[in-house]
Amino acid sequence: MKILLIGMNHRTAPVEVRERYAAQDPGPALRKLVASDEIGEAVLVSTCNRVDLVVATTRVEDAVLRVHRFFRQDLADADAVADSPSIDEVSYEHRDREAVCHVFRVASSLDSMVVGEPQILGQMKDAYRLAVENRCCGPVLARLFQRAFATAKRVKNETRIAQRPVSVARVGVELAGQIFEDLADKRALLLGAGEMIELALFALQREGLRDVHVVNRTFANAEELAERFAATPHPLDELETLLPESDVVLACVGGERPPLHYALVKRALDERRSRPAFFIDLGVPRNVDARVEGLDNAYVYDMDDLQSVADANAGERRRESDRGEHIVVEEQVAFDAWLTGLRAVPTIRHVRARAEQIRDGEVARLAGRLDLAPSQLEGVHQLTRAIVNKILHAPVAHLRNETEENGDAPVLEVVRAIFALDDEGAPGAEADAALRAEMERNRLRHARIPEDGFDPTEPDDEADE
Amino acid sequence: MVEIHQLAAAIYLAAGIGALVGVVLPAPRMSRGAAWGLGFGAIVQALAFATLHGGDGPPINSLPVVLAWCAWLGVLFAMLLALRVRLPGLTAVVGPLAFLSVFVASVGWDRSGAAEEGVTGAWPHIHVLLSSGGVSLLGIAGLAGLVFLYEHRRLKAKPPTPARIPLPSLEALDRVNVVSTSVGFSLLSLGIATGMVWLYDAEGRIWTGTSHATWMVISWVIYAGLVIARTAGRQGARQAAASALAGFAFLVFGVMGVGVMS
Repeated sequence: MKILLIGMNHRTAPVEVRERYAAQDPGPALRKLVASDEIGEAVLVSTCNRVDLVVATTRVEDAVLRVHRFFRQDLADADAVADSPSIDEVSYEHRDREAVCHVFRVASSLDSMVVGEPQILGQMKDAYRLAVENRCCGPVLARLFQRAFATAKRVKNETRIAQRPVSVARVGVELAGQIFEDLADKRALLLGAGEMIELALFALQREGLRDVHVVNRTFANAEELAERFAATPHPLDELETLLPESDVVLACVGGERPPLHYALVKRALDERRSRPAFFIDLGVPRNVDARVEGLDNAYVYDMDDLQSVADANAGERRRESDRGEHIVVEEQVAFDAWLTGLRAVPTIRHVRARAEQIRDGEVARLAGRLDLAPSQLEGVHQLTRAIVNKILHAPVAHLRNETEENGDAPVLEVVRAIFALDDEGAPGAEADAALRAEMERNRLRHARIPEDGFDPTEPDDEADE
Repeated sequence: MVEIHQLAAAIYLAAGIGALVGVVLPAPRMSRGAAWGLGFGAIVQALAFATLHGGDGPPINSLPVVLAWCAWLGVLFAMLLALRVRLPGLTAVVGPLAFLSVFVASVGWDRSGAAEEGVTGAWPHIHVLLSSGGVSLLGIAGLAGLVFLYEHRRLKAKPPTPARIPLPSLEALDRVNVVSTSVGFSLLSLGIATGMVWLYDAEGRIWTGTSHATWMVISWVIYAGLVIARTAGRQGARQAAASALAGFAFLVFGVMGVGVMS
């Protein structure tokens, strides 16, 4: 079985192209795809930054053509893609090891626009769940995605890739966490308005900040903002009374003179005694007097400060992503060994079926001659089964190991020759037809629940990428 | 007994290394395991103390015993504080320090000799326990002060330096400083008072005039000043952190340094 991945992402296709292939409900199209002869299993990962189709197939070249047709005809609206670049121009294609690595890298967020962002894992779980629910996922892709989720977990736990924030708003939250023990009992004061400051406040509120007060020169604006953030509005002249009780101050107002001048902040900090105050100054010119930084309990950060931390963290994530790549390669090698080992499975099952057929036939012949009681017959069955299993154990284990280590090992041919598996006249060959039918049923069997506890039928609460 | 102390020291070291690895990797499970390891080390050391009077051990007021008490009580106080305040990386610092203290104590254990005359009864034990508790808490305050000063400097830098490892917040460190200094000072005061009672009981006087006694009283006066300054709001968090660090350095010199030199 080969693994093929064809897709596009934020690096290969602009959003206006990607959005044309973003199907709302790709389930029916996936079912149609898997029903075709070229494709055995399929999972579609579709987010706003990527559309990746992973398939398991035995006929790779035919599968490539079928997948291209799937993208053009089944996934996207034909009218919408009429004036788009062809799929060849905007897509990438990975096979086998490269495809496995790609899936592992995507799940681990090493291929994301923002490296280390956590949402992609949830989206991949959704994609896997959809494939399972539509009976498009078999044992190979089930195993691939299980290992992808396990790889993502390893990358997250063994590297610092997702530890440090890379957005200015999240950096503000991180700094607040280094100053305050708990944001839930802190008071925030919002002075002015602006997109960045609102993002920072939103992020702080997500971390538990509840008590928010808004001050604005225009009281109506303060009321409007307060309503959006479940805050309390105040006119500007209450700033002096509010400041001593405010732990987090977010400022972004215009004007030549900083509204948070030195004397005002000094008085507030004196009243606060030893309690620290955290200022996020996003105003230009700055809203917090530069001399305030010299006060012991005042921690003042402007846009440049926050951006420099965000940049340093992004650099750290890039460095950590190298460690993540090593983990991906380790997991890919392990998966490859498993996939290669699968090649021995038909032969192993064939050998066992032959042996079982011979054993069963011989026992039946013996039972007819000796007129055994049912309990005696059962005893003979148990005995002969144990003998067969013990005789086959070592060669089967060797066959499996040899195939995992050396791929298409000559040992497979040797075993087929020794046991005359391809000889229709050999003893036990009558079991072959039943075995072939069973293996065909298994080819499209439903994916099982992965070992790591992820249940594809359970909803995932992670947001979109 | 000394072997059990050494076993406890080894457990403290293992817990400290485990916690350090847990913080650096990061591996939260390892950090949690290390915290449990620290607690286990404290239990083992408690067993060692239970055999304190079982053999020809050193007197309770000898430096190795006091050091071992300080380490044990320090671990207990640190774990109690961690129940109330979020202190990431605590085990990574406390574990190695406890190891060092217990290891040094166990090295000097055999040379300490038999029990001195007059070091019997309840007062010496109460004095040593209270004083050791006070010293260990003031040590925690000094340690919190040191970390506070580092964090303060990092957060005040322009541009601010990103945190390499997760450390407690400034607010948490200041809380630890306030609580440890207040309770530690109270225990130290009671320790000095019970020391005087012990002396009066044994020799009929309350003042020996030794350098140890003098340094202890000076340390007490310094800490009294720090506590009053903090309570009166005359000290900010940074000054309090620096004071706790300096105060503990002075105390260590008074308790250990002078003892060793004399």
